[in-house]
Amino acid sequence: MWLIPILPLLGAALNGLWGKRLPLRGIAAIAVGAVACSFLLALIACLSLGDATRMEVYFPWIAGADFQVDFNLYLDPLSAVMSLIVTGVGLLIHIYSIGYMSGEKGVHRFFAYMNLFLFFMLTLVLAGNYLLLLVGWEGVGLCSYLLIGYYFRREDAADAGKKAFIVTRLGDLGFLIGLILLYTTFGSLDYLVIFPEAAQFPVDSDGSGTLTLIGLLLLAGAVGKSAQIPLYVWLPDAMLGPTPVSALIHAATMVTAGVYIIARSSPIYVQAPEALMVVAVIGCITALYAATIGILQTDIKRILAYSTISQLGYMVMACGVGAFGAAVFHLMTHAFFKALLFLGAGSVIHAMGGEQDIRKMGGLRKKIPVTFWTFLFASLALIGAFPFAGFFSKDEILWRTFTSSTGGGRLLWVLALLTAGLTAVYIGRLVFLTFFGESRADPEVASHIHESPKVMTIPLIVLAVLSLIGGWIGWPRFLGGSNHFERWLEPALAAPAAAHAAGEESLEFLLMGLSLAVAALGVYIAYYLFLKRREAADRLAQASGGIYRLLLNKYYVDEIYRFLFVKPLVMGSTEVLWKTLDVGAIDGAVNLAARTTRSLGNALRKIQSGNIRSYAGWVVLGALLLIGFMVTAAS
Amino acid sequence: MYQALFFLFAASAVGFAINLLIQRHPIHSALSLIGVMGSLASLYLMLGAEFLAVVQVIVYAGAVMVLFVFVIMLLNADKEEPSDRSKMAKYLGLPLLFLLLAMITVVIYRQFPEDAMVQFGDFPGQTAAIGRLLFRDFLLPFEVISILILIAIIGAIVLAKKEP
Amino acid sequence: MQTSDLIRILPEIILAVAGIVVMLLGAFQKQNAGRMHPAIALLGLLGAAGAIAYQYPWRSLDPAFGGMLELDAFSAFFHILFFLVAALVVLSSSEYVAQERLASGEYHALLLFATMGMGLMASSNDLIMIFIGLEISSLASYILVGFRRGVATSSESSLKYFLLGSFATAFLLYGIALMFGATGATNLTEIHLALQAEQNTVTAMASPQLTPLVGPVPTALVGLSIALLFVGFAFKVSAVPFQIWTPDVYQGAPTPVTAFLSTGSKAAAFAVFLRVFMVALEGSAQDWVWLLWVSGLLSMVLGNLAALLQTNIKRMLAYSSIAHAGYILVAFTAHSEEGVAAVMFYLAAYALMNIGAFAVVSHFGNRGERYVEMEHYAGLGYRAPLLAASMTVFLLSLIGIPLTGGFFGKFYIFRAALHADLVWLTVLGVLNSAIAAYYYLRVIVFMYMHPAAEQIPVERVRPAMGFVLIFSMAATFLLGIFPQAVLDFASQAAALLLENLGNGVL
Repeated sequence: MWLIPILPLLGAALNGLWGKRLPLRGIAAIAVGAVACSFLLALIACLSLGDATRMEVYFPWIAGADFQVDFNLYLDPLSAVMSLIVTGVGLLIHIYSIGYMSGEKGVHRFFAYMNLFLFFMLTLVLAGNYLLLLVGWEGVGLCSYLLIGYYFRREDAADAGKKAFIVTRLGDLGFLIGLILLYTTFGSLDYLVIFPEAAQFPVDSDGSGTLTLIGLLLLAGAVGKSAQIPLYVWLPDAMLGPTPVSALIHAATMVTAGVYIIARSSPIYVQAPEALMVVAVIGCITALYAATIGILQTDIKRILAYSTISQLGYMVMACGVGAFGAAVFHLMTHAFFKALLFLGAGSVIHAMGGEQDIRKMGGLRKKIPVTFWTFLFASLALIGAFPFAGFFSKDEILWRTFTSSTGGGRLLWVLALLTAGLTAVYIGRLVFLTFFGESRADPEVASHIHESPKVMTIPLIVLAVLSLIGGWIGWPRFLGGSNHFERWLEPALAAPAAAHAAGEESLEFLLMGLSLAVAALGVYIAYYLFLKRREAADRLAQASGGIYRLLLNKYYVDEIYRFLFVKPLVMGSTEVLWKTLDVGAIDGAVNLAARTTRSLGNALRKIQSGNIRSYAGWVVLGALLLIGFMVTAAS
Repeated sequence: MYQALFFLFAASAVGFAINLLIQRHPIHSALSLIGVMGSLASLYLMLGAEFLAVVQVIVYAGAVMVLFVFVIMLLNADKEEPSDRSKMAKYLGLPLLFLLLAMITVVIYRQFPEDAMVQFGDFPGQTAAIGRLLFRDFLLPFEVISILILIAIIGAIVLAKKEP
Repeated sequence: MQTSDLIRILPEIILAVAGIVVMLLGAFQKQNAGRMHPAIALLGLLGAAGAIAYQYPWRSLDPAFGGMLELDAFSAFFHILFFLVAALVVLSSSEYVAQERLASGEYHALLLFATMGMGLMASSNDLIMIFIGLEISSLASYILVGFRRGVATSSESSLKYFLLGSFATAFLLYGIALMFGATGATNLTEIHLALQAEQNTVTAMASPQLTPLVGPVPTALVGLSIALLFVGFAFKVSAVPFQIWTPDVYQGAPTPVTAFLSTGSKAAAFAVFLRVFMVALEGSAQDWVWLLWVSGLLSMVLGNLAALLQTNIKRMLAYSSIAHAGYILVAFTAHSEEGVAAVMFYLAAYALMNIGAFAVVSHFGNRGERYVEMEHYAGLGYRAPLLAASMTVFLLSLIGIPLTGGFFGKFYIFRAALHADLVWLTVLGVLNSAIAAYYYLRVIVFMYMHPAAEQIPVERVRPAMGFVLIFSMAATFLLGIFPQAVLDFASQAAALLLENLGNGVL
C-alpha cells in the first residue's frame, strides 16, 4: 500500500532532477506512468478491501514513553474512495496536461510539481494518524502555492500564490492547535486510538466541552483549505495558475481536503452537535453566497471557481447535518464534473488563444463539438439533472438536510434549494454565452478556433461518461436502487444518533421533483436573459442597479475587508485580536502586515541606529528592568 | 582609621575613573587610569590581599600602563573630538547608570546590616593560600587562560598586520 | 590532578594542539599551507570527537579537576554538536577564505580555539570555568568577525561586538561575584546545595575572619545576581532586550563566521545558560521563569516583525536568529526535563539548517559578498536549481514544515511548553511561527517566481561546499523523519543533568 503515494514521489524526483534533459514525451511518460501505476495499485487495494479496514504500520516515527506516532497508512472505505478519486481524476488530468502544456517552458517542473502534489494528497488521505495527515496537509498547500505561481513572470500570479499560502495557513493555525488539543485530550494522534475513545465521551450538548472546541479548530483548518467563508478569498485568485492545476487542485482534490477532514473526524463531530451546527451554517451560507457572486462574473475560470466554492459549501453543509456519506458522495461526483468543467474551460481557452472573457466568446458549439458536448454533460451534472451524477448526490444532500433533526434543517434546505436554482442560472449563462448565439470574438481570433488534440479530448470524454454514470452507484432506494455507495462507506463514518427521521418516500419524491423544477427554472431564466433576449438582461441590470453592482463587485468584500480591518488599523486602532487574528485572515493581510510592521519597523530602525553608545544604553535599560523585577520578586 | 583610609582610596579610585572619562587628551586619561589602579591596589592591601595588590601595581600600573603611554606617544594621538551622535546615551545614559547603581546599592545595603560587614585590616597575609588555590584547586582555569592570551595575541597580529 | 582528569579534557587539548599546529604551519611551509590548514583543522576536530566517543558511556564519569568539569551526556551532546558545526564551517569556508584572501592559518586556528572554548563552556560546572570558556570563545569570535579587514562594516561590527560583548560580560562577572558573595561557592552543585539549605557554604573553620559572613543566604542578593547572570547569557544568545548587537554583527561578519556565531556560539551560550539555571539556580525557578517568559515572547515578536522588513538576506537571517532564540526560550521557560531536551534538539536542528542556509548565502555572495540582497536571488531557481532547492529545504525547515527537522524542533518545544501549562506562551509561539513563514517564503518567491533582473554569475559548487549542502540537507530531513535517536540522546542527557541534582550528589 505504501507504493501508492511513493510512486508519484519517485516520478516527481525523476522529473525534478533529470527532467530538463528529457524530451517532452519522456517527461510525460514518467509522470503519467507513475500516476497510472498508483491508480492501479489503489484500485487493487480497494477491491481487495471488502468490508474490512486495513492499518499498515511501517515503522515508529516518534516513540516516546508517553507519546507514540508511527508511519502508518490506513485504508478504509473513506480513504479508499478518496485515493481512487485522487489517482483516477489525477491520471486523466495528467494526460490532458500533456496536450495543454506542450509548448510551455519548464514542463518538467510542472509535472514534477503535479506528481509531488499527488504524493502529498495521497499521504493526506491515506494517513493513519493526524500527524502524518498534517504532513500531507502542509505539503499540498505548498504544492498548490508553487503551481499557482507557475507562471512566475506574471506578478499577479506570484501574488496569488502567496495569498493562497498565507490565507490557508491561517486556517492551518487553528488546525495545528486542534491537533495539540487532540493530543492532550486523548494522548495519541492515531485514528484507531482516538475514535473509539471519542465515542466514549459524553455528547457535548451545551457546546462547552473539549470536543466542541476540537471540532471548531479542525473546522478552521477545513475552512481555509476548502475555501469557505470567511477564508474563501484565495480561491478565485488561484485561478491564475495553469488550467489543469485549477482542475486538479482547486476543484477535484486539494480543496476537498477540508471536507475529508470533517468526514474523517466524524466520530468526534457526532459527539459535538454544536460544532456540527456551525459547520452546517458555514457551509450553507458559503454555498448561497458564492453562487450569487458567480452569476455576474465574466471570466470563465472565475465563474467555475465561485461554483467550486459554492459546491464545497454544499458538502460542508452535508457534513454539518450529519450526512457524511452524502458529502463524500457529492465530493466524488463533484470531482468528476468539476474537473471536466475546468478541463473543458481549458479547452475553450486553448481554442480561443488564451481568451477567458465569456463576453468575447459565443457560437463555439459547432467549432469545438467534443468540448461542447462534454461541457454540456458536466453542466447538466452540476445543476443536478436526472440521470446525471450530480442529481443523485445533490438530491441526497437536500433530502438529508430537509429531514435533519438538528434545528433549522428546513431553513437550510430552502437556502440550499435557492442555491441550486442560482447554480442553474450561472452555469446556464456560461454555456449559453460561450457556446450558443453569435460569435463575439475578434475575427482574427475566431478564424483560428480549433478543436483540441486527442490527448486532451479523450480525458474529457472519459470524465463526461463518469459525470453521467458516476452517480448511479448511489441510486436511491425508492427509485429501485439500493444506494450501495453509502452503505459501503458506513463503517468508516459515524452517524449522529437518530439524527434523521425516516422520511416518507413520497416526500422524497416530491422534494426531488421540486429541485428538478427549480433547476429547470434557473436554466430557463438563463436562456431567456442571456440568449433569447439579451437586452432584457441589460434592462434587468439597470432596474436592479444596486444589487447588480453589489454582485458584480463580489459584495465589495475585498473593499469591505480593506475598510473594516485595514483602515482602522492604519489609523492606529489597537484591538489586539484584530491585529493578530482576524486581520490576517483577509485579503489585505499582506498589505496590513507590511503597514503595521512598517511603523513598528521605523521605531526599530531608530533603535537600531548603529551607534554603539545607544546600544550600550539599551543594554543598561534592559538590565535595569531585569534587576528591578528580580529584586522586587525576591524581597 | 581603616574606615577613613577606605573612604580615601575609594573616593580617589572613583575620582580618577571619572577624570579618565572626561579628559579629552588620551595621555591624561591614561595617567588617570594609573591613579585608579593605584587606589585599587591600596584597597586590596587593606583587605589583606597583599599579593593581589603587588600584582596590580606591577602588571597594570607598571607594564600595561607603560605600554599604553608608549603607544599613545608613538601614535602622537591628539585631543579627541566629542561625538554627540547618540541622543539616547546623552540624555538617558547617566540617569540610567545612576539608577542601576542605586538599585544595586540598596539591595546590598539592605542585605548586610553594618555588624555583618567584614572588618578591614584584620586579615593575615594570604599569599600562600592564593598559591595553593591557583595551582591546586583552580589549576585548570589558570592553565586555560594561556589560550585566552594566545588568542588575544593572534587577534592583535591579524587585525594589525599589513595586507599581504 | 590525575590521568583521568587529563582524559576528560583531552578533546580540548587536541583542539588546542591542532590550533597551534595550524598556526605554526605557515612558518615552516609556505607553499601549500593554505590547503593544509582545513585538513589539519578537520583532523583536530575528528580527533576531539574521537576523544569524546572514547569516554562513552558518559553517564558514569566522575567530575574532573575537583568538580570543575563535568563530562556528562549533556556536555557530550553539545561537544559533538560543536565539532559538527565547526567541521561544516571549515568545509564551507574553504573557498571563501581563498577568495577573500583571509589569513588562512589564523582563521582556522581561531576557529579551533573558539570551538575549544565552547567545549569548555559545555562541560564546566564552575562559574569561574564557565567565564573563562565564554571569554575564550567570545574573544576568538570578536576577532573572526573583523576578519575582512579591507571592509569597513566588518571592522566596525567587530569593534561593536567587542565593546558590547565586554560590557555584557562585565554584568556576568558581577553576577558571578555576587553569587559567590551570597553562597560562598562558585561550583554550580555547591551553589545548588547552598541555596537549597539556605545556608551559605562559608565556614568559620577556614578563617576566623569570615565569621560574620556565616549564616543564611541573602535572598535579595541572589536575586540581583540572577538578574546579572541573565543579562550576560541573554546577550550571548541574543535574546531581547539584549539582542541589539545581533543584526549589525551578523551582517558585517564574514558569512561563514556568521554561520558559526548563529549556530555554534548560540548553542554554547544556551548550554551554559541551561546548566547554570537548571543546576545551580533551579530552586529559585519561580522567580527567573518570568524573565524567560517575557524575554522569549519579546524575542519571537521582535525578531519576526523586524525580519519582515529586511532586504539584506544576512540581516534577515540575523533577525530570524533572534526569533529562534525566542522559541528556544519558550522551551526553557518550561524548566522541565522535557524542556531541556527540547532545547537541545532544537539547537541541533537549528544548527544544521542554519549552517546550510548560510553556506548557500556564502557561496552565492561571490567575491566581496556582493550578492546578499533579496533581489539578487531572483530567478536563482532556474540558474542554479540544486543550490536553490537546497536553500528551499533549509528555509522550509526554518519555517517548520513537517518532514524537516525544524518541524520537530518546534513540535517538541511547544509540547514541552504545553506540558508545563504555558498555554498562552504556546499559542503566541505558534502564531509567531506562522508570521515567520512569510519572510522565509519571500526568499523562495524571489528564487522561483521572479525573473532575474540582472545576470548574476553563479560559481560552480566545489566538492567541499557540495558536501556541506548535501550533509545539512540530509540531516535536516533525517531529523524530520527519524528524530528519535537524537531526541533520545537529548532526553537522557537532560534526565541525567536533572537527576543528579535531585539527589544532591555528584
